[in-house]
Amino acid sequence: MAQNPGTSNKTKTPAARRRLRVGLGIMLTLLLVVGGKLFMVQGLDMGGMAEAALAKRLTPQVLPAERGQILDANGTVLASSVIRYNIVVDQTVNTNTKTFHRYNEKTEKLDEITRDQGIADLAALLGTDVAKVRESLTGDKRYFVVAKDIKPELEDRITKLYIPGLKAEGISKRVYPNGSVAGGVVGFLKDGTTGQAGIEQTQDEILRGTEGKRVFEIGADGLRIPVATDELTPAVDGSDVKLTINTDIQYFAQQAIQSQVNKMNAEWGSIVVIDTKTGNLIALADTNAPDPNDPGKVDAKDRGVRSVTAAYEPGSVQKMITAAAAIEEGKSFPLDHFTIPPSYTIDGQTFTDAFEHGTEERTLAGILGWSMNTGTVMVGSRLSKEQRYDYLKKFGIGEQTDIGLPAEATGILATPDQWDERQQYTVLFGQGVSQSTLQTVRAFQSIANNGVMLQPRLIDGYIGPDGQEQKAPAKDSRQVVSKETAQQVRDILESAVTEGQIKDAAIDGYRVGAKTGTSQAPREDGLPGFDGYTASMVGMAPMDDPRFIVEVVLQRPKGNIYGVTNGPVFRSVMSQVLRTYNVAPSTGTPARLPQFVK
Amino acid sequence: MSNAAARTLPSVVGNTARALPAPAGKPDVARRPRTPLSVVRSAPGRRRTPFVVLCFVAMAAALLTVLVLNISVSTAQYQLVQLKAQAATLNKENQDLTQKKQNFEAPQNLAAKATELGMVPSTVKGQIDLNTMTVTGKATPAVKGENPGAVLAPPAVGGVLDVVPSVTTKDPLENLKPVTPAAPEASATQATPPAAPASPAATPPVDLHGGSVPAPQQKTPGQ
Repeated sequence: MAQNPGTSNKTKTPAARRRLRVGLGIMLTLLLVVGGKLFMVQGLDMGGMAEAALAKRLTPQVLPAERGQILDANGTVLASSVIRYNIVVDQTVNTNTKTFHRYNEKTEKLDEITRDQGIADLAALLGTDVAKVRESLTGDKRYFVVAKDIKPELEDRITKLYIPGLKAEGISKRVYPNGSVAGGVVGFLKDGTTGQAGIEQTQDEILRGTEGKRVFEIGADGLRIPVATDELTPAVDGSDVKLTINTDIQYFAQQAIQSQVNKMNAEWGSIVVIDTKTGNLIALADTNAPDPNDPGKVDAKDRGVRSVTAAYEPGSVQKMITAAAAIEEGKSFPLDHFTIPPSYTIDGQTFTDAFEHGTEERTLAGILGWSMNTGTVMVGSRLSKEQRYDYLKKFGIGEQTDIGLPAEATGILATPDQWDERQQYTVLFGQGVSQSTLQTVRAFQSIANNGVMLQPRLIDGYIGPDGQEQKAPAKDSRQVVSKETAQQVRDILESAVTEGQIKDAAIDGYRVGAKTGTSQAPREDGLPGFDGYTASMVGMAPMDDPRFIVEVVLQRPKGNIYGVTNGPVFRSVMSQVLRTYNVAPSTGTPARLPQFVK
Repeated sequence: MSNAAARTLPSVVGNTARALPAPAGKPDVARRPRTPLSVVRSAPGRRRTPFVVLCFVAMAAALLTVLVLNISVSTAQYQLVQLKAQAATLNKENQDLTQKKQNFEAPQNLAAKATELGMVPSTVKGQIDLNTMTVTGKATPAVKGENPGAVLAPPAVGGVLDVVPSVTTKDPLENLKPVTPAAPEASATQATPPAAPASPAATPPVDLHGGSVPAPQQKTPGQ
């Protein structure tokens, strides 16, 4: 009979029973201890060990955002970010590895390569000598940069060498394919990440984008733990900035002004080209423009955009504002008769002209056509001080331009109560007031655009990472003078070219209006007085319906100032602009207002 | 005796048997004759092997499923890694080529190349209006050898050509022909200096009228 009756307590010896009970008791105690410890460690977690372990495992990884590009009006890339590599080495690994294996694709076997051979191969690819490479690969540093800024195809070949300890780190590098063309406008980066000048600086937030983040858990063996935390915030790439600049015209203008400055031995020069109908800036050319790929090559003072930052006394170009104000206020008209003595004295202040003359019978057109200070003071004195100030303000003098470049000049326009005896008249011909080239161009743009001033635009729009284009809104426009006044002023400007002294601004086939300006340049060493001249010329074409304004400025050209003419430079830049935009030749009769009263 | 019997009838055999309590006044009524002893074959125990087999099969199936899942995920992962690497390589190549193209397009480099070809900028241009068939302006021929004016430095983009390559009369692609296929052909092309404008064919030398831009090889279309 196979049976196994259970043991009953009654048959056990008391000693055995006691031993069993003690054993059970010990086991239960141990169980309790273990259970308690488990509860404490797992449940209460005193000592924060779970958290500490999680903290050790969690690895945040920054996902870099790609910096946006800067484009010109036609989509030409002015600035973009590309991948480059830094070749880094773990010196401890490389020094201790005498030979390593490399897969030979031709024989499909593993070759055994010595360390020296590897070093020689690397030196050949990098183009440096073997001793230098050996020095950088030997040592006890765990991280040492062997080469920087390596292009991807070279990095590919270096990686295929399989040199132990060698690794390629991807970095982002900003390249500027057009170099110094629009160099100052585009700007450059500091430390490869933050904009330091130009558009790179002012639009840094938009270009930069937002970094992403990835948090995951990593084990002690360096492998990611698949089922643990894995949070991903994707990076948002920066938006592209589209400018209104036309790179070809910009190059042409930069080359033209650089040639002119070299020829005249001037300090600096600028050319500004603007589209009068929209206010879009087509070119902002400055001499000695920096190449953003290597901005250190030019002086610090050359790294900005003088077209908007340099404020100077404009000189005779301001006479256009005086004439416009007088015509708008009904105090004069283009054929108004003036008897102009060789020198004109008013309120104890004497004014003379740049050229000697007897008493002349001139029209208002003739006063501007020959750029006569005396005549201008005569016309301007018909306006009250307040009126002169108001019109200067209306035309944007003393009002900062806001096109998105750093350090744009506001210019200096003192209030009328601060004007002294002489300044109240000199402001009429552009001395005793200072403004930047762009401010002058803006004033002329109102005349070209039937009296409506449009704020100049440099940034056309933004293109988001998804490709959506968002135009930058145009700022408010304002009516500065009436349409009729603007037309009369345009006639005066055109007559200056056809009948007046600015005949070298004429372009075959097109009607052109222009005004020259020669002003004394204040000393820059802090002492009062003047030193040298600023020669400028501003013109618009075609006069049947003006579309473009070009201003050429030359600071402190050497030699006789009255022999200096910006006419040829203006002509070449304006013809290039007219040709590029396929502007039809002018029709209609050019204005030929008489300069003298018969 | 079977277990069932052991449960119902307390054992009285053997020295470990319990002592029977004296049944109080209960006489043995019908004392049955003892059945002859014989080996009782115990009832066939429940067969456990199917269960064990089932367990093993289930375990194997589970392991296989996990294995297959892991393999498929890994394969997909390998593919993903390979495709990502391909995308990265193509992206780098694209950037490289784009940069080269942009470098050639840079205005300074174009101007330098034009100067090398002997071109000069035109001065006064005329206009032809196709709508009205009128010619305005007086176009003047460009004057050679005039002062070209300031030369803007080419963009200093690292690693890209910043010296415009010298112009040869050969199509640039021709210069990239591999040397190995036809060794005599290669040595022949290397022997002729690039300056010789006369083409290998038997066309007579073209009068270039003092220019330096070579005449096109193709005289008539389709030839």
